[in-house]
Amino acid sequence: MQDAENVAVPEAAEERAEPGQQQPAAEPPPDEGLLRPAGPGAPEAAGTEASSEEVAVAEAGPEPEVRTEPAAEVEAASGPSESLSPTAAEEPPGSHAEPPVPAQGEAPGEQARDERADSRAQAASENAGGNEGSAAEAEPRALENGDADEPSFSDPEDFVDDVSEEELLGDVLKDRPQEADGIDSVIVVDNVPQVGPDRLEKLKNVIHKIFSKFGKITNDFYPEEDGKTKGYIFLEYASPAHAVDAVKNADGYKLDKQHTFRVNLFTDFDKYMTISDEWDIPEKQPFKDLGNLRYWLEEAECRDQYSVIFESGDRTSIFWNDVKDPVSIEERARWTETYVRWSPKGTYLATFHQRGIALWGGEKFKQIQRFSHQGVQLIDFSPCERYLVTFSPLMDTQDDPQAIIIWDILTGHKKRGFHCESSAHWPIFKWSHDGKFFARMTLDTLSIYETPSMGLLDKKSLKISGIKDFSWSPGGNIIAFWVPEDKDIPARVTLMQLPTRQEIRVRNLFNVVDCKLHWQKNGDYLCVKVDRTPKGTQGVVTNFEIFRMREKQVPVDVVEMKETIIAFAWEPNGSKFAVLHGEAPRISVSFYHVKNNGKIELIKMFDKQQANTIFWSPQGQFVVLAGLRSMNGALAFVDTSDCTVMNIAEHYMASDVEWDPTGRYVVTSVSWWSHKVDNAYWLWTFQGRLLQKNNKDRFCQLLWRPRPPTLLSQEQIKQIKKDLKKYSKIFEQKDRLSQSKASKELVERRRTMMEDFRKYRKMAQELYMEQKNERLELRGGVDTDELDSNVDDWEEETIEFFVTEEIIPLGNQE
Amino acid sequence: MNSRRGSGDGGAGSATYPETPPWQLRCLLLPGTRGRRPIIRKWAQSVFRSCSRCGLPRVTAGMKPILLQGHERSITQIKYNREGDLLFTVAKDPIVNVWYSVNGERLGTYMGHTGAVWCVDADWDTKHVLTGSADNSCRLWDCETGKQLALLKTNSAVRTCGFDFGGNIIMFSTDKQMGYQCFVSFFDLRDPSQIDNNEPYMKIPCNDSKITSAVWGPLGECIIAGHESGELNQYSAKSGEVLVNVKEHSRQINDIQLSRDMTMFVTASKDNTAKLFDSTTLEHQKTFRTERPVNSAALSPNYDHVVLGGGQEAMDVTTTSTRIGKFEARFFHLAFEEEFGRVKGHFGPINSVAFHPDGKSYSSGGEDGYVRIHYFDPQYFEFEFEA
Repeated sequence: MQDAENVAVPEAAEERAEPGQQQPAAEPPPDEGLLRPAGPGAPEAAGTEASSEEVAVAEAGPEPEVRTEPAAEVEAASGPSESLSPTAAEEPPGSHAEPPVPAQGEAPGEQARDERADSRAQAASENAGGNEGSAAEAEPRALENGDADEPSFSDPEDFVDDVSEEELLGDVLKDRPQEADGIDSVIVVDNVPQVGPDRLEKLKNVIHKIFSKFGKITNDFYPEEDGKTKGYIFLEYASPAHAVDAVKNADGYKLDKQHTFRVNLFTDFDKYMTISDEWDIPEKQPFKDLGNLRYWLEEAECRDQYSVIFESGDRTSIFWNDVKDPVSIEERARWTETYVRWSPKGTYLATFHQRGIALWGGEKFKQIQRFSHQGVQLIDFSPCERYLVTFSPLMDTQDDPQAIIIWDILTGHKKRGFHCESSAHWPIFKWSHDGKFFARMTLDTLSIYETPSMGLLDKKSLKISGIKDFSWSPGGNIIAFWVPEDKDIPARVTLMQLPTRQEIRVRNLFNVVDCKLHWQKNGDYLCVKVDRTPKGTQGVVTNFEIFRMREKQVPVDVVEMKETIIAFAWEPNGSKFAVLHGEAPRISVSFYHVKNNGKIELIKMFDKQQANTIFWSPQGQFVVLAGLRSMNGALAFVDTSDCTVMNIAEHYMASDVEWDPTGRYVVTSVSWWSHKVDNAYWLWTFQGRLLQKNNKDRFCQLLWRPRPPTLLSQEQIKQIKKDLKKYSKIFEQKDRLSQSKASKELVERRRTMMEDFRKYRKMAQELYMEQKNERLELRGGVDTDELDSNVDDWEEETIEFFVTEEIIPLGNQE
Repeated sequence: MNSRRGSGDGGAGSATYPETPPWQLRCLLLPGTRGRRPIIRKWAQSVFRSCSRCGLPRVTAGMKPILLQGHERSITQIKYNREGDLLFTVAKDPIVNVWYSVNGERLGTYMGHTGAVWCVDADWDTKHVLTGSADNSCRLWDCETGKQLALLKTNSAVRTCGFDFGGNIIMFSTDKQMGYQCFVSFFDLRDPSQIDNNEPYMKIPCNDSKITSAVWGPLGECIIAGHESGELNQYSAKSGEVLVNVKEHSRQINDIQLSRDMTMFVTASKDNTAKLFDSTTLEHQKTFRTERPVNSAALSPNYDHVVLGGGQEAMDVTTTSTRIGKFEARFFHLAFEEEFGRVKGHFGPINSVAFHPDGKSYSSGGEDGYVRIHYFDPQYFEFEFEA
C-alpha cells in the first residue's frame, strides 16, 4: 500500500479502491515529510485535495478494473503531484459512521481523534446527501473540494499513525488484485535443438506437444540467428499457474541424447539477475537470553519434575516430585488445548493449540518458540532436540505439502513440508538415534532423509518391495526392516548400515504371519518377534529371533514360545528381557537372560499373573508388571537380579504406569480419558511402597520430565556405585532431618489451626452461656445444657434387655 | 407392606411388630421378649482400619456394630432423641421405627404413612415425634403411645421437618413438585386451630431453588435451610425474611446437623465436601473433602470430630463395583480438617449418620436399608493428633 502511494501513477489510486476494502490510514513513510510543502496552510490544502480524491476513488468501486470511472479523471485533474501527498486516509462512505481509523493527527490524543471523527462525519453527511456510493456524484464534489477551501478532513501533518495498514486489515490486503503484465506466464526453455527454417515447423510441433500438456500456450517465440534458431525459446501460457507447472515437470525433460530441456520462469531470470554479487552480511539477530534451560538438573535434592493435566484438560501444572508432597512450580489454566509433550531431553514442554505448537522452558516456563501449524494434532521431536515434526490433517494442499512439517527448534523456521499419503502410524518419520537421519516408509519404498538439508539421502529412496515395517537402532545408524513372503521368496529381516546402505545382516524366515521389531535401548540387541504358521501344525507359533548387534556378523539365536505372547520388553540397560505369555486368566511372566556366549537362559517364570503390560525401570533391574484397565490395576513389583516379587499391590482401574527418569519412583494413574471416577495418581517407590495418593479432579495425564543422558563416564559411575554406602549415610541423615522438619511444620500448622479454632469456639461458647436464661425459659425451666443436667427430673427405669449374640465367622459378610 | 403387619395398626405403646421378616427367621426367640428381638452381631474383624502414611485411618479398633433391620427400603434419615436412649429411623418405606439405642431393640413403629418417609424429628423432651413423607403429609405422633396426633396435608412431598428449641413450633418444607413450589410452613402447636384448619401461621415461599435440608437455628429464632443449588439461607421464624444468605457449596446440600450447643452446624453436600458453619452468622469455618458425594455429616458432642457418610450415588452404584463406591463412614478432625478414621460395613451409600448425644457411639443408615449402631472402643477416645 505504501509503495502504491509513493508511486504516483493512476494505478496506485485505483488499487486503493478495492471492492469492500476500507481505506485505513497509511503510516507515513519516514521520508514523506520531505516531499511536503513546508507552509502550514499548504499541506492542509493538499491534504484536503488528496482526501477528497480518495473519497471519489473509494466510491468509484466496486470493480477496480472499470476504467471509465472518475477516479482516473480526478487523478488527472488533481495531478500526480497531489497523490504524492501522504494524507491518503479516507474510508468508503458507507463506513463513515464507524469509529475513524486512526490517521495522522495533530496530537495523537483522544480529542484529536474525536475532532477527526467529527469532521469526517460532516463529510459523510455531505456524501449521504447525494446518492451514496455513486461515482458520478462524487466526481464534481471531489473537483469542487479540490478548488474550494473546504474544512480539512485529513489529519494534520505531524500526526503519526501508530497502526499500519497491514496490521489493520492484513488479511484483506493479502487478497488485493495484483497488477499482472502476463510476464509471469512466460517460460524460457533452454537446450532446444538449433534448427533452420526448414525444420522449424516440425520443432514447433514437437515443442507444442510437450508443453501444451501443462496448459494452453498463447504465444511462442523462437529467436533466430543466422537462419537458425538460437537454441532457446519463449513460451507464454494462459496463466502463471501453467507456467509454474511446466517448469516443475518439464525441467530436465530428455528430448534426445543431446538435448535435455532446462525450463525456467521468465521472471526468475529477472530475479536472479538482480541479485547482487556482493555478499551481504546477514543482520545479526539479537541474542535472546532464555536463561538456563537445564536449570532443573541443578536442583540440590536431585528431584525430578513432572507435568500434570487435570480438570479434563483445563489446567496444567508442573510439580517437583517430593517424597512427602508434590511441590507446585507452575500452574496455568488452558495452557494447552489437548495435551502436552516433553522434548526427549526434557528441555522443552510442548503445548498444543489450534494454531500450532508452543514450546516452553526455563525456570519460569516462558515461551521459547512457536510453530504455526493450523490444526496440529501430533508432534515428534528428533532425539537431539534440534527438530520438531508436526502433523495436521487440515493444511495439506496439492502443491504445497503442509500435512507434516519439520521445524528447526532453535530458529523456529520451517525446514520442510511433506504430504501425508497413507494412513501410517505416528510417528511417520522415524529418527535415527543421533538425529542425523530420518526415514519414512511408503508403499514399497523406504525414504531416508538427512539433516540439516532435509533432502533425500543420496537423492534417492530405497526400493524395497513389500516392506512392512522398519526401525532405527537406538545405538547406531542401523536400520532394521522386514519384508513378508512373496511366493517363493522367503520373508526376511534385513539390517542395513547407513549412510553406506550396506546390508550387514539378512535373515530369511519361512511361513511368517507377522514380525515385530524390538530394539534394546542401547542398541545392543534386536529381538524380532516372529509369528509363524509352520506346516503341519495348527495355529500360530511365536519365535523370538535375538540379534546380537555388538558381535561380528551379528549372530542370531532363537527362543521358541509355546503360548501366545501378550507383551515383550527389553531391560533398558541390560541383557534381560521379560515376556508375558498365556491366555487370561492363566498368564505367566518369564524373564530371560542373553548370555555373552549367546545362550539365552530362562531365569525365572511366575505363573498366575494379573498383568498385561511390562514396565521396566529406566535403569533396568526392576520391573513393574501391571494389569491395566480391564485387569483392575493389579501391580507387581519385581526385582530381576534375584527374581523376587518385592510387592503386590493394586491401584484400582489404573490406566497408566510411568517410571521417573531415574528409576526411583513409579507413578500409577487413573486418567479421566479412560475412566471417569477416582481420577488420581499414586506415587510408589521402585520397591512398591506407596508414598502418596494424589487425587485430582478429572486428572488426565502425568508425564515425567525426561533427563538428558548422563555426562559421567563409565568409570565414574562405577566409582559412585562403589562408594554408595558413603553416600547413603549422608542421604539417610538428610532424610531424617527433612522428616523431622516436616513433622515439626505439620505440628506447627496444626497448632495454629487449633488455636484459631479454640478462639472461635470460645466466642461461640460465650454467646451460648449468655443465652442460658432464654434456653431455660423456652424449655420450661428445665436445664438441658448437659446430658444429665436435669437428672433430677428423670424417672429412672431399669429395662432388662435380652441379648444374644450371633457370632458370624469372619468373611461371611463381605 | 400391609400384609406383613401384625395386630396393631396405629403403633400402640407396647410396640407392635410386623410379621417376622425372612431375614430374622434364623434368630432365636428368647422367652419373655415381647415380639421380635433385634439381632446383635459380633464382628471378629477389625472394621476400623489402621492408618499408614498415605492418609488412611490412624486408629485401629474392633467395634461391634448393632445391625438394625427394620426397613425394607433405603434409610432416609436417622435421629437420636435428646437423651440419646432412643433412635428414630425412617426410610423409603412407610414405616417409622424407634429403637433403644443401647442394644438395638425395637421399641415400636409409627404406622400411618403411605409413602416414603423423608424426615423425622423428636422434640426436646421426647413427647412428640414429627415425620414428613412423600405421601404429601406431615404427621405428629405421640412418642410414647404411637398415636397419630395430627395430620397435615400438603401439596407435595415433605422433605424436612423439625421442632423448635422449645418444642412448641414445628416447621416443615415441601418439595417443588407437581407444579407446586417449595414452601416452608410453620405451625404453633399451642394454637390447636392452626393444625385443625391446616393453616400455618407462616408460609415462606422459596422460588429459586428448592430446600433439600433444613434445621431450626439456636433458640428457635430462625431456620437454616440448605438448597438444591448449594446455597444456605437463614430465614427468620417470625417474619420469614432471609436474614443471611451464603453460597459455599457448589451442589445440593443433602444434610444439615447442629452441634450439641447449637452454635455451629455442619452441612453435607453433593459437591463431595462437608463444611462447618457458624449458626448465627453462617460464616464458613472448615471444609472436609472426600472423593464422593456426602449425604450426611454429624458433629461429635464431646470431641472435635465430625463423621461423614456418603458414597457413590445410588443410581451409579449398579454400574460400578462396590469397591470404588467408598461406602465408608469417615471421621475427620474438626480443627485440622484431616481424616483419621474410616468405618466400613454398608453395601451402598450411607444416607444418614447421627452421633449419640453422649458421643460414645454413632449410627449410620444406608441405601442398603440397614441401620448400624457403632460403639467406639477405647482407641477412639485415646487417639489424639500430634499437635
